[in-house]
Amino acid sequence: MKDRLIVSASPHLHKGESTTRIMWIVFLALVPAGAAGVVIFGVRALWVILWSIFFALASEAAIQAATKRKVTILDGSAAITGLLLAYNLPPGAPLWMVAAGSFFSIAIGKQVFGGLGQNIFNPALVGRVFLMASWPKYMTTFSKPLSYDAVTSATPLALLKESGVPGNISYQDLFWGLRGGCIGEACIVALLLGAAFPLFKKYISWHIPFTYIATTGVFTYIFGAKTFFGGDWMFHVLTGGLVLGAFFMATDYVTSPLTRRGQIVFGIGCGILTAVIRLWGGYPEGVSYAILMMNAATPIIDRFTRNRVYGS
Amino acid sequence: MKKFFHEFLKGIFRENPTFVLALGLCPTLAVSTSLTNGLGMGVAATFVLLGSNVIISGMRNIIPGRIRIPCYIVVIATFVTLVEMTMKAYSPALDRALGIYVPLIVVNCIVLGRAEAYACKSSVTNSFFDGLGMGVGFTLALLLISGIREVSGAGTILGREIIKGFDPVRVISMPSGALLVIGLLLAFFNLIKRKK
Amino acid sequence: MEMGQFLAIFISAVFINNVILSRFLGLCSFIAISKETKPALAMSLAVMFVITMSSIITWFIYRFLLIPFGLAYLRTISFILVIAAFVQLVEMVIRKISPPLYRFFGIYLPLITVNCAVLGVAVLNSDMFFTKSSAVAGSFYYSLFQAVCVGVGYTLAMLLMSGIRERLELCNVPRVFKDFPLAFIIASIMSLSFFGFNGFKF
Repeated sequence: MKDRLIVSASPHLHKGESTTRIMWIVFLALVPAGAAGVVIFGVRALWVILWSIFFALASEAAIQAATKRKVTILDGSAAITGLLLAYNLPPGAPLWMVAAGSFFSIAIGKQVFGGLGQNIFNPALVGRVFLMASWPKYMTTFSKPLSYDAVTSATPLALLKESGVPGNISYQDLFWGLRGGCIGEACIVALLLGAAFPLFKKYISWHIPFTYIATTGVFTYIFGAKTFFGGDWMFHVLTGGLVLGAFFMATDYVTSPLTRRGQIVFGIGCGILTAVIRLWGGYPEGVSYAILMMNAATPIIDRFTRNRVYGS
Repeated sequence: MKKFFHEFLKGIFRENPTFVLALGLCPTLAVSTSLTNGLGMGVAATFVLLGSNVIISGMRNIIPGRIRIPCYIVVIATFVTLVEMTMKAYSPALDRALGIYVPLIVVNCIVLGRAEAYACKSSVTNSFFDGLGMGVGFTLALLLISGIREVSGAGTILGREIIKGFDPVRVISMPSGALLVIGLLLAFFNLIKRKK
Repeated sequence: MEMGQFLAIFISAVFINNVILSRFLGLCSFIAISKETKPALAMSLAVMFVITMSSIITWFIYRFLLIPFGLAYLRTISFILVIAAFVQLVEMVIRKISPPLYRFFGIYLPLITVNCAVLGVAVLNSDMFFTKSSAVAGSFYYSLFQAVCVGVGYTLAMLLMSGIRERLELCNVPRVFKDFPLAFIIASIMSLSFFGFNGFKF
């Protein structure tokens, strides 16, 4: 009985929105970034995306059937997980690896906790860090933008990590996504375009993305160069998975804090961790790790930023 | 004879220290990256268990109740030191691979747990078979986990490659893989228990 | 002694080689006591205190007794006895002078004697900050700092885990995964995410 009672702060209004509807709207909001990815990296990227979504749905259905629960693959959550995982993979990722990542995301990232709404960590990111730790070779081979053949190129962040300079790439190229990178993270314009509608409808709140990106910017501006206050903050904001992560992964309802204050703490935490890993860590990019670490801290953040009961 | 056999078997199945009692997990997870390491740790722990169980049960009427825990620790630590010195002398490679987890057998809950729960109130022969059973149970559990981890995490068995061109799931041989494997195995044993 | 060395010790002890998530020391207590935040925090403070104090004591014993007299092989046995005696002493003192403090964390003290983290850190310090027959420069400060950092790492893992498990209490977790198995899987994902700090360099 206990699990049927939902305890939350008032007001208890119903907006007439269902989880399923919101899920599919967020899914649609993600489509432009994927389309841009296919244009930039070629049709191989499309296969990775479709394969990832297919395997996420299949894993969800298989596990739910095997444990004799209702099969809920149409609620959109598994599809989003598959889509987001694909967006975090390089366009040339081998398909068996995509399948393994998709299965891991759904099985270990979500179903082990009891399914939708109960997972602690963002399932797509769980899948991604699993792949990153298991097969780093395939996870760090990126293809060159607009070349459509097997030419590989390093991401700007990887170049920065290796040689200390980001290579000559203009902000404009970064903004349009003309750079090596994961499928869904490259084209900033498409990401922002997609995020506009759910932001406007308040399906995703602005607190996390704003504080996350701002914190990363400020932190890299202060510590990003040999002297203080000389870092190329614009570069750090526009590269890597920051925009994708901040708008679409850090804002996941289930795995981020409930209150506004909590969300701000969450965003700042993500921003600092991302910047620290990028500047001093062994990996060029830290977005997935930062969000996962803050996912782990979410229950504690919720606990300490809980709205006070009126009158106490 | 049947009774001894019973004492021996219970450590392997019904009261398996790792999967049923969930004791002594630190070394289990830390050294189970390869079968060789798992076997080395298993044998070392079995030796300590056997020795401490026999000595403690032999001295059970002499040890005063109030300071029994420190006494047990001295006995156990003596055997651990023996193992440490033997290993350093005859198998330095294994000693390096197991690292600090050899001295840590002292605080392995299985060893102290058997002393406190069994050896201090049972006869020497019973304690011997209890220690042997628990030790073998622990070793088998270690072999199971390290087997799984070596095959999937490194793609080898006892250091030999199994299938050419197989890209091993490297994460399994990392610490987080150890936690994952033990979590899934515990769930698997739960499932079997519930089916029964 | 360099600043960089201290930073390296901090990042390594708290994140990369976190006592629990990577070295698996103190795992039993981590799984057993992390169901609620309050006891988890009390336990962490107790562990942090004992690790720090016993690191100091064992350092002096190793440096001024075991090494000069060529008794390094008695390390394990002498360390564990000293730790056990020290914990017993602290428990008695706390019970005498401050019953509320005893109720808050004293009850966890006996458990800590057999917590592998305490002996583990003492052994680790003597492995890392001693060469064959002498202490490296700054050895004492490194040992002390490493002990504190390990305690911080323990507290961090404990705090995060207890928060997560408190939340899971309200969830409908599949029966076979309830409690232990899921706790291990969560720890595994946490360990994967701490992996992001690998190769940390200033």
